[in-house]
Amino acid sequence: MAAGPYNYSYIFKYIIIGDMGVGKSCLLHQFTEKKFMADCPHTIGVEFGTRIIEVSGQKIKLQIWDTAGQERFRAVTRSYYRGAAGALMVYDITRRSTYNHLSSWLTDARNLTNPNTVIFLIGNKSDLEAQRDVTYEEAKQFADENGLMFLECSAKTGENVEEAFLDTARKIYQNIQDGSLDLNAAESGVQHKPSAPRNAINTDQPANKEGCAC
Amino acid sequence: MEAMLDETVSTEDLKKFEQRYNEQMTRGSVSPKTQFEYAWCLVRSKYSKDNQKGIILLEDLFHKTHDETAKRDYLYYLAVGNTRLKEYDKALKYVNGILQVQPGNHQAAELKKIIKKKMEKEGLLGMAIVGGAAAVALGSIIGLGVALAKK
Repeated sequence: MAAGPYNYSYIFKYIIIGDMGVGKSCLLHQFTEKKFMADCPHTIGVEFGTRIIEVSGQKIKLQIWDTAGQERFRAVTRSYYRGAAGALMVYDITRRSTYNHLSSWLTDARNLTNPNTVIFLIGNKSDLEAQRDVTYEEAKQFADENGLMFLECSAKTGENVEEAFLDTARKIYQNIQDGSLDLNAAESGVQHKPSAPRNAINTDQPANKEGCAC
Repeated sequence: MEAMLDETVSTEDLKKFEQRYNEQMTRGSVSPKTQFEYAWCLVRSKYSKDNQKGIILLEDLFHKTHDETAKRDYLYYLAVGNTRLKEYDKALKYVNGILQVQPGNHQAAELKKIIKKKMEKEGLLGMAIVGGAAAVALGSIIGLGVALAKK
């Protein structure tokens, strides 16, 4: 497992941001473990997850930094935004306040990432239709006005979770293909991993973990 | 998950939070938030001196607060800092302290796995189990758990 060539060609860095309790960690777990984590305690600082996906026949490793939503972590978690290729910005469709705070999260995301960072808006908890506090149309309009991709998801049922993570990757990949994302830029959030075996000893990344879902 | 422990704080961030801490220090009182932010950066530094300083600041915060969630956060980063310093017994003690109160805390459980793996890799696990360190550590875990449960 430790030796041998990479079994992916790219690494994309993602961050997940948004208010406390909107389900950021649950989305991450649904995506990496395909399980719903009930009674998940509040995240301490930041959490990390990876998964290898495939886009247009290319294997891509997603390195996902899931940030704590609590205010006291916010100053330091900002440093994790740097060099993110994708930012998943999450609110809870049953709690209007989490939607109202999006502009502040968006400001952070815009200021602390690069102009090519793909920002994907997620309205989580779509399974709780009866408690809905933010309409789809309204959020869709906000997303359109701000040039964000958008989906409503449910970390509980898994609905649209894959789509949100994968659509973000597709968009990033597309930006690489059409040249709008410069891989040589220091903070593109993307690393290209040539598949030549000699690169396997390159240790700048914790690369000996492929195949591990954690 | 090991990426958590490989990741280091940027020099500019460390400086920024150090400056805030020093400013408040000069004015005579440092808020727990500022102290925690600085400590969090220090335990993620690649220099062990910084890690040690971070640990001292976190221990201080831990003893001063009655907020259980805050205690949990401090314990977690105490475990991270000690893991970086290869003080695995201490790191395990702290991480077990969290698991005692929140058995379902997967972040703590993950960190524990990493610490054990590192100990195994460095041939330290056997020593800790055989030696008296284990007994001492166990005593502290229980003490820590009780202390946490009370508040």
